[in-house]
Amino acid sequence: MSFSYIARRAAQKERVRILYRRALKDTLNWAVHRHLFYQDASDLREKFEANRHVEDLDTIDRMIADAEATYNNFRHPDPYIVPWAPGGSKFTRNPTPPAGIEIIYNYGREDND
Amino acid sequence: MQNVRSAILRHLRVGTTHKQWLYAEDGNAQSRLSRHLCASACTSSDQLMARVIGLVKKFDKIDSNKVTETADFQKDLSLDSLDRVELVMAFEEEFSIEIPDVEADKLTCCVDVAKYIASKAKQNIAESS
Repeated sequence: MSFSYIARRAAQKERVRILYRRALKDTLNWAVHRHLFYQDASDLREKFEANRHVEDLDTIDRMIADAEATYNNFRHPDPYIVPWAPGGSKFTRNPTPPAGIEIIYNYGREDND
Repeated sequence: MQNVRSAILRHLRVGTTHKQWLYAEDGNAQSRLSRHLCASACTSSDQLMARVIGLVKKFDKIDSNKVTETADFQKDLSLDSLDRVELVMAFEEEFSIEIPDVEADKLTCCVDVAKYIASKAKQNIAESS
């Protein structure tokens, strides 16, 4: 009894942790700007904290399932990627150098010529 | 400019010559190169440690006087699991890296985090060169 209780409890903790992590990242996707994100993140944290002291295992399971459904429902369709990171809109796009810039191709070998 | 150039040349030369010298000089050349070329993630280990500790001290649920290099986040700094998720996310933001779930579990104190970031930075350099 107690062993299965502990195991189930640990599994639930793990699920909540992963859910919180994903939800937090998704919050950043919706907010993008940090100053907007902080408020949203603390709202999210309050939602999790509200059910902190629930003890009944089945209730917890149901709550987690509900929360995961909500998360899947509100997931961002187009997650934010930093523009110059892989997948971003600026990734490997290098602007042409401005006019008047000269490239010295034998740089470092001038002395030998 | 001269510094950058010499650092790059040194690194290239390390790459092409035989392996033993590569291992002997590896750390030096890499840290030199990284100091010049990398923007954020890879600085020397002291600076990295200072940045990690500074970040942990700024985290508002932590008493900044208690923060040391080996203080355990959960036991000594009394964070719960959700706080740790937030902290890991702060690290990701600061050093612009991705920390997968499995690794995030293992990070229990500042030293762990600094080591992980350093290993990650080294990996990046090895891949890009």
